[in-house]
Amino acid sequence: MGLGDLNRYIKKSLWLFHFNASSCNGCDIEIVAALTPRFDAERFGALLVPSPRHADALVVTGSVNRLSVDALRQIYSQMPEPKVVIAVGACACSGGVFHDCYNVIGGVDKVIPVDVYVPGCAVKPEAIIKALGLVAGVKSEKRKRGKARPIVVEA
Amino acid sequence: MGGRPLENVVTVEPEGLREAVEHQVKRGYGHLVTITGVDAGEKIRVLYHLSSLSGDMTHLEVSVPKKVGASLPTIADVIPGSLFYEMEVRDLFGVRFEGNPWEAYRYPLPETYPRDATPPLWKEAENEKVREIIWRDGDALGQIQTSAEGVSVPFGPYHPALKEPEHFRLIVDGETVVDVIPRLGYVHRGIEKIAERRTYLKNVYLFERVCGICSFIHTYTYVLAAESVAKVEPSRRAEWLRTLVAELERVHSHLLWIGLVGYWMGFDTMFMWLWGVREKVMDVLEIVCGNRVMKGFATIGGTVRDVTDSQLEQVKRALREIEKQASDVMERILSFDLFIHRTRGFGEFDVETARRMCAVGPYRRITGDPYDIRKVEPYGAYQELGFEPITEKRADAYHSVLVRLKETMQSIEMCRRIAEELPAGAAVPQRFYMASPQPGEAVARTEAPRGELFYFIKSAGKPTPDRVKVRTPSLANMLLAATLLRGATLSDVPIIFTMIDPCFSCTDRVLVYDVRTRTARMLREEDFIKMSRKRWASCE
Repeated sequence: MGLGDLNRYIKKSLWLFHFNASSCNGCDIEIVAALTPRFDAERFGALLVPSPRHADALVVTGSVNRLSVDALRQIYSQMPEPKVVIAVGACACSGGVFHDCYNVIGGVDKVIPVDVYVPGCAVKPEAIIKALGLVAGVKSEKRKRGKARPIVVEA
Repeated sequence: MGGRPLENVVTVEPEGLREAVEHQVKRGYGHLVTITGVDAGEKIRVLYHLSSLSGDMTHLEVSVPKKVGASLPTIADVIPGSLFYEMEVRDLFGVRFEGNPWEAYRYPLPETYPRDATPPLWKEAENEKVREIIWRDGDALGQIQTSAEGVSVPFGPYHPALKEPEHFRLIVDGETVVDVIPRLGYVHRGIEKIAERRTYLKNVYLFERVCGICSFIHTYTYVLAAESVAKVEPSRRAEWLRTLVAELERVHSHLLWIGLVGYWMGFDTMFMWLWGVREKVMDVLEIVCGNRVMKGFATIGGTVRDVTDSQLEQVKRALREIEKQASDVMERILSFDLFIHRTRGFGEFDVETARRMCAVGPYRRITGDPYDIRKVEPYGAYQELGFEPITEKRADAYHSVLVRLKETMQSIEMCRRIAEELPAGAAVPQRFYMASPQPGEAVARTEAPRGELFYFIKSAGKPTPDRVKVRTPSLANMLLAATLLRGATLSDVPIIFTMIDPCFSCTDRVLVYDVRTRTARMLREEDFIKMSRKRWASCE
């Protein structure tokens, strides 16, 4: 089985790495809620992994603050190619209600490129699952053309 | 009650501060709620909010000249629980506390903000200017000097079952933890600064987003303080409805936490069960508030929306089901030997330690101390409901699960009674509050799921507040948790940390410095879980 075959089989089983960039926990618990029995994203193969090196997609919640920015860059650099970043929540998309705080630089796209934006405060588990459904497409497009246009999930 | 004007203020001189604090502790005002700094133009006012166990508060006020490096004596040896509060006032107001043992560490600002720059919460410190300095290049984390050589510590990876990121340095001898140095501030955004430029009504929206788990209780407490400043009275129905949502939030928060205890121990089934039950509570919240996480329910003078009778019927039906499911799951968990072995006797402490460290919430009540704001300073409908706090006799991980379990059941019962006996009338105010309150100061305290939550508001007669101070329960409990880790083994670290129901996410990558071999190794969260599971297996 060549690598191409492997890619075909694992294309739709997403491994996610979750990063809290200074979130209020609202979106974080909704991500966990999306993985627990009611919504159960695991039935689509989505799984949280504890290391960015194993991750297909980086899920970032919260606006980026001064202490988390270095870690965010470092974790992004450790991910394997093609990297996909999902910004979950209004804060991760644009800085949200905290956009003018002194310790906040703004959304995640100020630091690393974002592929899927999921707006909402807090994001509903349904929207998170919808975003996960889009990642496979983004990934294969990145593999083919090296880049993909950012998508906004309409909840 | 709930919100009340700032009364019983005793003004003292800096030299007499320690004596005054000692005097108050002897009088029974030994619980330090927090220390608030206020910019008073020429001077910085520093307020020590002290509470007795029966709920009365007294406030010591000290003024220092407004210059960077103005100093006050520390009170950390009289009330050890004051450590973080002093560090916070130092970073945000530039007041140095002589003798604070953690003077070298920053909290909550990053290291890139120089100690001699204009402190961010001074009025002349412009938000944009502060931001510019903070975002300069440099090492934000800074070196943490330990007794051994300081090693710079990367943090992460993060994990979603846990919440906010915090950094702890554990110094170990073999498997035993010798010392713990917390480095907080990963979630510091500067809310208190921007609150000063938003109107009272907009701030309701802002403070809801301090925490996504206990979001409602933050708006509730803020609203109680704002109502006291603005002299607005909510209707009785509004008070009852807010109590209903606050108790529903407690149910969901406690279930969430008990589930996480299971996760940390490697008991994933328990985690899934409880989160499954929790979804039903989220449904009820959605019926009452229209939202799951950010409820957007409380407003100054009442609530944003009312509930209909048919909605109340739905709530009652759902509560019956939740009660049945929750007690079912709990019964199964508590009859599981391994769970008991893995929690009983871990992280023990006594009531004296809890009092000295100014611990709050269920974490304090397991020692047998009935310190619950719902009882000692009733707000909302608690007086009418005849609320009695739940306590336990022994403070360890097992009993901290047990007390939250009983509280969950009690809260469900309270919600049911509120749904049945909800007073008639209007809950939504005629119009939303848009005015400028008279100059004045007010404080409000409530019992959040994790413990006592405190807000302080100062009005200068403008449409925006002059100062808002928030003290969250997790910060109050952090110090005790850090203390308990000394002497524990590494495999017990996660269980002892989760005991406080921390609103920080991870001990997930701590640098372990072995005193014997003089080597540093990195432990990630999965290593902790692995160790914890190994320990679990050895119980069998």
